[in-house]
Amino acid sequence: MALLEIDNISVYYGEMCVLRDVSAQIDSGEIICVVGANGAGKSTLINTISGLLKPKTGKILFNGEVISKLEPYQIVEKGVIQVPEGRRLFPNMSVEENLLIGSYTPTSRKKRKENMEKVFTLLPRLAERRKQIARTMSGGEQQMLAIGRALMADPKLLMLDEPSLGLAPKMVSHVLELIQNIAAQGVTILLVEQNVYHALKLCNRGYVLENGSITLMGTAEELLNNPHVKKAYLGL
Amino acid sequence: MRNFITPRYYLPALMIFILLLIPLFISSPYILHIMAMVLFWAYLASAWNIVGGFAGQLSLGHGVYVAAGAYVSSLLFANIGLSPWFGMIIGGLVAALLGVIVGYPTLRLRGAYYALATVGFAEGFRVILINTTKIGSWHTGGAEGFLVPLLGDAPQHMQFMSKVPYYYLALVLLLIIVGFSFWLDRSKLGYYLTAIREDEDAALALGINTARAKLIAAALSAFFTGVGGVYYAQLIRYLEPNAIAGAIMSNQIVFLAIVGGRGTVLGPVIGGIFLTIIGEMTRILFDQVMGLHLFLYGIIVVLFVIFKPRGLIELVEKPYEKLVKMLNGRRVEGAS
Repeated sequence: MALLEIDNISVYYGEMCVLRDVSAQIDSGEIICVVGANGAGKSTLINTISGLLKPKTGKILFNGEVISKLEPYQIVEKGVIQVPEGRRLFPNMSVEENLLIGSYTPTSRKKRKENMEKVFTLLPRLAERRKQIARTMSGGEQQMLAIGRALMADPKLLMLDEPSLGLAPKMVSHVLELIQNIAAQGVTILLVEQNVYHALKLCNRGYVLENGSITLMGTAEELLNNPHVKKAYLGL
Repeated sequence: MRNFITPRYYLPALMIFILLLIPLFISSPYILHIMAMVLFWAYLASAWNIVGGFAGQLSLGHGVYVAAGAYVSSLLFANIGLSPWFGMIIGGLVAALLGVIVGYPTLRLRGAYYALATVGFAEGFRVILINTTKIGSWHTGGAEGFLVPLLGDAPQHMQFMSKVPYYYLALVLLLIIVGFSFWLDRSKLGYYLTAIREDEDAALALGINTARAKLIAAALSAFFTGVGGVYYAQLIRYLEPNAIAGAIMSNQIVFLAIVGGRGTVLGPVIGGIFLTIIGEMTRILFDQVMGLHLFLYGIIVVLFVIFKPRGLIELVEKPYEKLVKMLNGRRVEGAS
């Protein structure tokens, strides 16, 4: 059984259809990426899984259970966490406070100390700066913090919305490496990226989202060698 | 064991001590009344701050909760002889219920809806108070207002002939709300409220039940405001719908909190104390021309907002921190 199953969902902003009959599935332990151009509906997909948007038709199942009718906080409780696009840290809070906010759910609250240790082991940079105010950190550090904050909620499925956005190339590979390390700890990853080449290098399978529909899917290798992907996204 | 003889502890203790001593040196009932009102306004501003400051949800109708507390306790007192001490709890709970009624449908929405709903609700409530003269067989007075029966010195009914007990009661209320704010600021709920204020989308995505957190804040704020209303009823002993539930009451509360520094523990207290004193002083000094004192009061407030946009708390925070450091430094030197 797939960990996450997206079953034919359509999402509308008012009259406008942003996602049309999208289906996808993610198995436990996979790293999946969704690539596509700006405005293809990638963030909408993540926000719909998170429950911030409701699909008009279709449904989403997590561990075999329908979650597309639940409230965002209930979905987070199930272990589906997103790192939102543009990081969305709480700018005037310290690193530590931002992390604490991440552990809201009843289950993760009990493991707060343990999770914070885990995050600090994974991201020693944050441990050095635990008292620093979030907005005074560099873009890369802020992205690390946003990921760390999501890890505090004990995710089973971690969704990252454009984590490389606005980062220096060196930082990008750093973040991608971090994602790999998180996956190695058994967290399933759904990665949304415009940085198609790097994303496909990292993942097991991928989906290509164009104008709100999935036009291609396959293993990372298949997609990297696909002529359409090569032409449209890799500039080859 | 923690060392309690540090400026962090003894400076606030000293301030409370001074506030406790004030009635010993002031015999004028007028000045004591003003001082009680100063503390009372600081209390109301702090109560508003829970929803308006910490949660960042602008309520422009807190007069409703003052009125609810005042009317509920006074009607119970006048008709069935229930002591306002118990009325405080019932009045507070009724106010909290009203807070939930306004907040439940609107706090799940973004933007100005909550603020608009509070304005509408407060105005509606005021009009209802004006046009209702009776609830069952209980007289409410309608537009004439409601006179709270005076029993003379009756501590068990929160009535005193002297102003001194009222002063101390206001001080106790203020200390309770400041203590509560202090706790809230460091509590889990406080964190969630700050997160909501800073970035509601992010808070939502992280699994914070934002609608519930905001609603709890609104209910707590209304509860404390309602309790304040009970006190007000016994201090003033005359409830006039326009004065107590009207826009002036509601706006004044918001005003004090924002000018003092919303979202901080002590900002609304400082706003309440400074602005009420300035308001009274301009009223006494410029009483020759009707309305001039309000005009001057307005100018002073505008100047504060321009030069200290984060609130009056800015004026106090730094010198206070300096003082703490200085006293700390002296202690360390003395110890070596």
